[in-house]
Amino acid sequence: MSYPASQNPHEDIRESTYVPELLKGMAITARVFWRNLFGERDLTTRVVERKGLSRVATIAYPEEKPVYPEGYRGLHRLVPRDDGRPRCVACYMCATACPAQCIYIEAAEYDPVDDLRASRVIEKYPKAFVIDQLRCVVCGFCVEACPKDAIRMDTFTHTPPEYSRQSFIYPVDKLLKGTAAVHPSDPWYRREGSGEPAHVHKEAHTRIGPAGRVEVDTGKPVPVTRFLK
Amino acid sequence: MRAAMSSFAMAFIVALFFCGMAAAYIASGFAEGLFAGAGRLTNILFLSLVFVMVMAVALTVAERKWSALMQDRIGPNRARIALPWFRGHSLGGLPHVLADTFKMLSKEAFVPATASRFLFNLAPVLSFAAIFALFAVVPAGPTLPVHNHRVSMVIATPDFGLLYIFAIASLAVYGTSLAGWASNNKLALLGGVRASSQMISYEVALGLSLVGMMIAFDTVRLATDPVTGALGMTDAQARYLWTFGSDFGLPAWGIFLQPVGFVLFFAAAFAETKRAPFDLPEAESEILGYFVEYSGMQFGLFMIGEFVEVVILAGIITAIFFGGYHLPFGEATLARWDLFRQHPWVWGAFLGTVFWVKALFIVWIQLLMRWTFPRFRYDQVQRLGWKMLLPAGLLNLFVSGALILWDPSLRALAVVGLFEIGVVIAFTFTSKPAVAARPAAAAAHH
Repeated sequence: MSYPASQNPHEDIRESTYVPELLKGMAITARVFWRNLFGERDLTTRVVERKGLSRVATIAYPEEKPVYPEGYRGLHRLVPRDDGRPRCVACYMCATACPAQCIYIEAAEYDPVDDLRASRVIEKYPKAFVIDQLRCVVCGFCVEACPKDAIRMDTFTHTPPEYSRQSFIYPVDKLLKGTAAVHPSDPWYRREGSGEPAHVHKEAHTRIGPAGRVEVDTGKPVPVTRFLK
Repeated sequence: MRAAMSSFAMAFIVALFFCGMAAAYIASGFAEGLFAGAGRLTNILFLSLVFVMVMAVALTVAERKWSALMQDRIGPNRARIALPWFRGHSLGGLPHVLADTFKMLSKEAFVPATASRFLFNLAPVLSFAAIFALFAVVPAGPTLPVHNHRVSMVIATPDFGLLYIFAIASLAVYGTSLAGWASNNKLALLGGVRASSQMISYEVALGLSLVGMMIAFDTVRLATDPVTGALGMTDAQARYLWTFGSDFGLPAWGIFLQPVGFVLFFAAAFAETKRAPFDLPEAESEILGYFVEYSGMQFGLFMIGEFVEVVILAGIITAIFFGGYHLPFGEATLARWDLFRQHPWVWGAFLGTVFWVKALFIVWIQLLMRWTFPRFRYDQVQRLGWKMLLPAGLLNLFVSGALILWDPSLRALAVVGLFEIGVVIAFTFTSKPAVAARPAAAAAHH
């Protein structure tokens, strides 16, 4: 609310007598007090988008979690394939792009006699894929650099607190979680006898994945989002 | 859910007031049966120790919680009681009272090596004791027969009533200036000097602002003398200036008779409590005050003394300007109820609740002011005290005196008072026209 006020408080009797202005100020404070006393805090939207009576902006953090905007860069995760293994092909592009140099990858080759279908079309997988969360500057360059949609930051969580520095070094088993992603262009679908997908490639679009939050519970079987038609 | 909880909490506080006052009346009646005057001793216990102290202690949390609500925050809610049900509930931040008390009691009472040890230890006691004794002459309920004894809900009824308050309040300056001097610290000394100069200069305006009320009711008493029946200010306000209908009208409350006196007294007394916007003697976070060297419960005495002052100031303002324990109207009708006639202590507890609810509202107003207004500069404090409050108090005194002489029924005074209130309301609800860009400023840009 813009409030017209002159630079000279002695010009107007309302301001020079002081008390009416004090009452106005107290009315503002009192209004805020009563609406916050009786209003319910709306925790389902972001603070700036609240419609409720209460305008209390504080979030009692451990009990209440803030609502993050879409596209929020949270904790990394390695995206699983529908068979539960990481989509990562150990190309080192994320590690190269990382300005904080917090990604360490050790590549390994699939065994050529492995009868897993992936081994017939992709050769490499990360034997070690480690992110040092203490070093990470959460810039998201790794997500942009990844050609295989194998690393995402769509977990909508922070790095949880730990008691030792070593615990912040995240290996594959801590990173591999969340919804699996399957793209029509994935090489393990280009098997013998499989042609080009009937539809247009939309990998760039599908990479964003389903909107909303992603469950980070690894105990349950991995849900699969199929972009195949 | 939250609205229901808040309403419940407010009703619970009112119920607590009622229970406390009922207990005070019953205990006082029993004590009067032991020996005459024993009821006054239980009044010390109930009014000063229970009501004033519990409210002051609760205010230490309430100030943080209420200020949080005024600033769109949640406020303290981390302290929990480790019992099965309480573990998951913040209880409105009340466990912080326990946490703070334990912290202050268990902290080292540090005395600087160069401090004057005796005076250093004496200062918080002096400061607190003077404030604590202030409530003695404020009546919190009517004089009633309980268990066949006359019980007055007031600690003392000296015939110098208000003068006692002025006298004891001016003693508090010793505590603050001693604290500043005995710490042997430059900043504390400066804070003590600021405190004493502020308190002394505002005492003039403080006394002057109430003279209008004294001559209006022709007394300096707050409570009616139970022996002689000399009417005190509180009971003098329990009549109507104008009646509309049988038991409805405009009561002769001080706020209607002396609105200017009320504003002056509120401002001056607020300066005496040394709270924002007059908190430059202490100003904990920025300029350091007279208790900078104090720690533990010695600091706690200064802090709790401030809140005790808030409660007592609310009680005094209620008794002088808001009719004390009297309802604005309808009191005579209610008093005829059988329940109230057969059990006078219920009637006393009811009126006592009225008093404390009014006092709590004034407390809330004080906290509202404390969290709304920015702090005065030192020269502004002195200018406000000497050049605004004092002349305004003198003018108010002359006008009120002339009106009371002209019309002893106080109606002329009330008409002028209502006119003053109306002027303030008109000024508050109109805003001045928007100022066009000043030509001089516009020309300077070219």
